[in-house]
Amino acid sequence: MATQRTQRQNSSAPVPPIFRAVASSTRPLYQLLKSINFTHKVHVEITENGIRFATDHARVMQGVAHWNKNLFTTYLTNLPEPEHRPSSSASDSESDPEPPSTTFQISLPALLETLQIFGAADAASRQAKSDVDPYRSNLRNYRSDAFSNQALGMAGTCSLSYAAEGDPLSIVLEESGVNTTCNLTTYVPEIPEDIPFDIENLSFKIITQARWLLDALAELAPASPEKLTITASKKEPYLRLTSSGGPLGSSSVDFAKGRDLLETFVVNTRGGKVWSNTFKFDILKSASEAMKIASKVSLRGDSQGVLSMQFMVEIEGGSLSFLDFRFVPYAISEAEEGSDDGSEAEEGEGEVGQDGEMDLDGE
Amino acid sequence: MVVLNFTLSEDGVAVLHDALACMFKFSDDVCLEARKDKLTLTTLNISKSAYVCFSFAANRFFSKYNFEGSPQYRERFSCQLYIKSLLTIFRARGGASDVSRENAAIERCDVAIDDGVGKKSRLVARISFRNGITASHSLPYEVKAPTHAKFNQDEAGNCWAISSKTLRQLMDHFGPSIELLDINTDEENHVVNFTCFTEKVQKRGATNSEAVLKKPLHTNIAVEMDEFDDVSVEDKMHIIISVKDFRAILQHAQITSGDLATSYSNPGRPMKLTYGADGVLCEFILMTVGEKDATYQRHKTPKANSAKAPTSRPELDSASHRASSAQQVQPAPSVEKQPTQHKIPTASRPPPPAFDMRPPPPPPPTAPRSPGLFISQDGGDDDDHQWDPVNPDEEEEENARIEWHSNSESDPFAPRISSFARKPTQQSDATPPERLVSGLEPTQRLSDVRRFGLFSE
Repeated sequence: MATQRTQRQNSSAPVPPIFRAVASSTRPLYQLLKSINFTHKVHVEITENGIRFATDHARVMQGVAHWNKNLFTTYLTNLPEPEHRPSSSASDSESDPEPPSTTFQISLPALLETLQIFGAADAASRQAKSDVDPYRSNLRNYRSDAFSNQALGMAGTCSLSYAAEGDPLSIVLEESGVNTTCNLTTYVPEIPEDIPFDIENLSFKIITQARWLLDALAELAPASPEKLTITASKKEPYLRLTSSGGPLGSSSVDFAKGRDLLETFVVNTRGGKVWSNTFKFDILKSASEAMKIASKVSLRGDSQGVLSMQFMVEIEGGSLSFLDFRFVPYAISEAEEGSDDGSEAEEGEGEVGQDGEMDLDGE
Repeated sequence: MVVLNFTLSEDGVAVLHDALACMFKFSDDVCLEARKDKLTLTTLNISKSAYVCFSFAANRFFSKYNFEGSPQYRERFSCQLYIKSLLTIFRARGGASDVSRENAAIERCDVAIDDGVGKKSRLVARISFRNGITASHSLPYEVKAPTHAKFNQDEAGNCWAISSKTLRQLMDHFGPSIELLDINTDEENHVVNFTCFTEKVQKRGATNSEAVLKKPLHTNIAVEMDEFDDVSVEDKMHIIISVKDFRAILQHAQITSGDLATSYSNPGRPMKLTYGADGVLCEFILMTVGEKDATYQRHKTPKANSAKAPTSRPELDSASHRASSAQQVQPAPSVEKQPTQHKIPTASRPPPPAFDMRPPPPPPPTAPRSPGLFISQDGGDDDDHQWDPVNPDEEEEENARIEWHSNSESDPFAPRISSFARKPTQQSDATPPERLVSGLEPTQRLSDVRRFGLFSE
């Protein structure tokens, strides 16, 4: 009710903005966005229910983050109709089968910079830094205590507005009487297509703890490998990540043993074949920020070899948010496939054994 | 054919990591040597001045250890690996530092070396985590026999032992950016002195002819002999080692919290530091900085030693003056005759600017080559010292070209020393005309200007 009243007041203004929202804490906004921070430009799509941010890296990796409406204390939209007819009021568009939305591109680093202008998300890392360096002068040490606004992520209010198509996205941050207005230039959207992922025809689906996936990558990363092969199979090792192409040898991580390792495990490959695809290690690593903040990850692969990682993030306050990543694998040449199989067969020995129990219950 | 396999517990991985981290401060690669009864990790630093050896007892350190050997490697197998890659594998994970992530801690770590004809040479480390994840790393290695440093225990008459914790605490007093540590005893006061200092110089002035000490600070830490478990050291014996190495050792030693024992003979000869705990024996052999008069010191009886104590630093000033004046007369003998002084390898220093500082004097008519003549020459030049700069470090700089081994009898670098000794003579041949043309330096030594007839003898 309260929101509607505000809306009416707004609509009485000469030109109601397309979008206006106020958040009391920028931290969840920042965290969600930061996990897809691997390109300069982000596609922003504003809908009635929230904002969708999509980034794309060389058309082989795609990351999508959502700011749900409930992250904001106020969330108002006045979206144009899909035919780009200016709608008289927001309520009219509800009858439209295709939800109205507005899209534009924006600089992602700039947006992130803006959101943490009061150091909302940075306080922890700064504190960690000052712990490491105890000889820093006390005078310059802006170490915040546990109850400071920064540590709590309550750096005043943050209001976003997008007045009309082509206008800059305006972000006003207010903290203890200090107002910072940032106008971020918006760019014409390129409307990239999503990486095709055949959700009807999944080859495998595995749900596990995101942290463990991060551990696995951390285990492989020091050897600075070039490629990462993900193998999902019905038999042991069930899920295996193998790194190769690094100067310091190769490594692999198996999610084979342990009772609670894999929450859901479904492999639908025909004829006992394994799902095995190779990705560039660095692009998978760009999802590690998501692995840090997420509680669970759902790994899915389709028959074409596209990998989807869906992260479930528990936002402060109990709501859930999802981060979507899609990765396109390397094209498999015959020779490569042969060598991969060979090394796997060699390495696979010796560790098969004891307890391979897991819940193969599926969905 | 599996040559070697062993299993480490979580703690074992941590201990191995500490050892590797310590070695990494000395060198980039490590030699792994496996025998039936022990596994040895050794490394030698790039300047071959420090040798590190960790021995892990097969029956005590490992939860399982099996050296199979092969026809090729019946007695022992050795290979060389990158420390960096080992460090990333043998490191504590999650649970060790964070209780909430106990699941991510290591349960066991199996290492196998599989070698043989037609096989890829790989060290395979398979780490099982408590949550059921298994990581397996395979590292390439090079089959290579290790280099061991020799240490003659019979020769090393000096020794002391102290708790590594205590020693580590002393290290906190060492200032930053110091390089050398002089360990000496003072029987009168019943203390052991740890004096740290640096001889790093920085150039000042437009012509870079003036060198000043970067850190003109000596920190002396006197430790009561009671703190030591055992001290048996020739009194007033100055043994000088690199602080960087010593720090690296102590940082590791304090983890094991064992007693650290040292033994050494004379300056310029190696020093051995050992400590051990729980099936791990840690040995370090460090080359000590040779002193010029080590030979002299060695032949003195301890009694004479205490009577005429050459406490190196206090004496340094006058000593270096004498040396420099000697050098002006004839550079070659000065290298041999130079008194107590701490030497560091020339490589770490800028080229000696000895003959840029002042016009080199022509060789005196009666070029005195015997040391005996020198001493009298010194006496004659006494007035020279009044004109010396207050800062004696510039002299030090001149004399820095001495290598460590300059005076040890079994000197493998003897040819090098002689080449150093020869070099100044060649230079003095070449430079005089140039210098004379350019004119006189603003400040002159008395002995230098005498030949221009400005001052009568």
